[in-house]
Amino acid sequence: MDATSRPAVVIDNGTGYSKMGFAGNVEPCFMTPTVVAVNESFLNQSKSSSSKANWLAQHSAGVMADLDFFIGDEALSRSRSSSTYNLSYPISHGQVENWDAMERFWQQCIYNYLRCDPEDHYFLLTESPLTAPESREYTGEIMFETFNVPGLYIAVQPVLALAAGYTTSKCEMTGVVVDVGDGATHIVPVADGYVIGSSIKSIPISGKDVTSFVQQLLKERGENIPPEDSFEVARKVKETYCYTCSDIVKEYNKHDKEPSKFIKQWTGIKPRTGAPYTCDIGYERFLGPEIFFNPEIYTTDFTTPLPVLIDKCIQSAPIDTRRALYKNIVLSGGSTLFKDFHRRLQRDVKKIVDARLAASEARHGGDVKSQPIEVNVVSHPIQRFAVWFGGSVLASTPEFYPACHTKEEYEECGASICRTNPVFKGMY
Amino acid sequence: MVYHSSFVSEEGITKTCGCPLLPLKSHIKGPAPPSDPDSSDIVDEAITFFRANVFFRNFDIQSSADKLLIYLTMYINIALKRLEGCRTLAEGTKAIINLGLEDVPVPGEPGFPFEGLFSQAGSNREAELFRNYLKQIREETSGRLLSCAYRLNGTPNKWWLAFAKRKFVNVIVL
Repeated sequence: MDATSRPAVVIDNGTGYSKMGFAGNVEPCFMTPTVVAVNESFLNQSKSSSSKANWLAQHSAGVMADLDFFIGDEALSRSRSSSTYNLSYPISHGQVENWDAMERFWQQCIYNYLRCDPEDHYFLLTESPLTAPESREYTGEIMFETFNVPGLYIAVQPVLALAAGYTTSKCEMTGVVVDVGDGATHIVPVADGYVIGSSIKSIPISGKDVTSFVQQLLKERGENIPPEDSFEVARKVKETYCYTCSDIVKEYNKHDKEPSKFIKQWTGIKPRTGAPYTCDIGYERFLGPEIFFNPEIYTTDFTTPLPVLIDKCIQSAPIDTRRALYKNIVLSGGSTLFKDFHRRLQRDVKKIVDARLAASEARHGGDVKSQPIEVNVVSHPIQRFAVWFGGSVLASTPEFYPACHTKEEYEECGASICRTNPVFKGMY
Repeated sequence: MVYHSSFVSEEGITKTCGCPLLPLKSHIKGPAPPSDPDSSDIVDEAITFFRANVFFRNFDIQSSADKLLIYLTMYINIALKRLEGCRTLAEGTKAIINLGLEDVPVPGEPGFPFEGLFSQAGSNREAELFRNYLKQIREETSGRLLSCAYRLNGTPNKWWLAFAKRKFVNVIVL
């Protein structure tokens, strides 16, 4: 049986979570935090005992260190229960920083989670739009040399996110992807499946910042949360309770009037002592996501709100694509899942666009009427893993296989072939 | 965006040092003209907007009432800081009375928090008038703040006191 007749493996490695599964499926098989727990006690041991007698011990220590690691939720629970494991996050801000950890992560993904033989399947991996070609080469090297995959395609995340929407509606591959992940936020305009590279905007505010803002607010109010657990609690609070409001002051008043309805309780167990504790969750529910619309409340370094930047991004795109771009603003990534996020975004972008239109009409003295611009922020139920889903759709089309780099090509030309990945027919 | 004051109309309002002497719903003696007891005044506005505006580090001034709003937001920030350690309403009231006994600097004097926000007083009389107005508005704000920051049974309301740790427009509060 040929590898092209088996479903391709689709892995989307995000800063926060990795999504993995097989092409043609509707949902990824696993969504697990991108984290590796490595046992480093072996390394120290081999360093301290340098006598020549126990080379065998040293050798097996090295082997054990290579084998003794965990990924995902397992890694988190291991590191919590014992101090021998150190956590390392291979991806930060959407870029792979620690290739050693990344390789281990993939190894466990393939053999332990998906339980497949990498020699039997084509692979579709994803990367952020700002990834350097060199890191694509590294990825290719690891995939072809270590895992011996027959074929590899490295797709750009926003293009896949657009492709995820395309099955549900029509074949529209023009749009702006607002990808708010855990580690990076990108606004990427795509026209007919091609990324308009010069217009990509990114902001240094992402899901992780929402978490740390929530953490900060909880701390300021003096909520009773053990400090070693506070980041995790903040993350869970963010994921369960946060929502987008239309107006901060109105929201404060709502909370004050009906505390029983808006103030939530959080119950947890102290990791060290095992004693249960409770705390109140209040204003951080809407103040957390507010940092996308008013970054100023969180940081001094960056003050442009997300809607303004989306508008700037579209304004810098080629003029003939702009209307189509405004019409199709697609959300992707876990941090766009806050309730009413798309509604607030649409309202704010629309406000900017309408104001500009009104200003230009006023300049023309009112005798030129321009057609109103349609602003549409699209949200769909699979937003959380839209990138993965798009990958699953594309990798199940017959056009996918010829677009891949194959093992033979790699052996012929070297890792540099991974630098470019062609846009193929299935994309538009 | 920061929340701006709605008291933009300057009709019939006297100004000192570039600051409008807006009417107050107050029984405290001072130069402020009385206002309609049923409508809200600048102090109500400052308290309502405080929990939103205190997060911001820049404030674009759109009207002269905004200047007073900035001053009051700053004052609420200071007052909350004093209330931080007070566990009962009685202790809190005492801390606020102590704060009220302190000198109130006017623009141009050392200790005034915002250099250049208001223009300097032209004469001693103008400075005194402004000082009295600030004193009155501070006392009024403190009274209303205490009823927010403490619950009816006299225990501190953490939903307000948490904001003591914030630094409005990045100014360190003493």
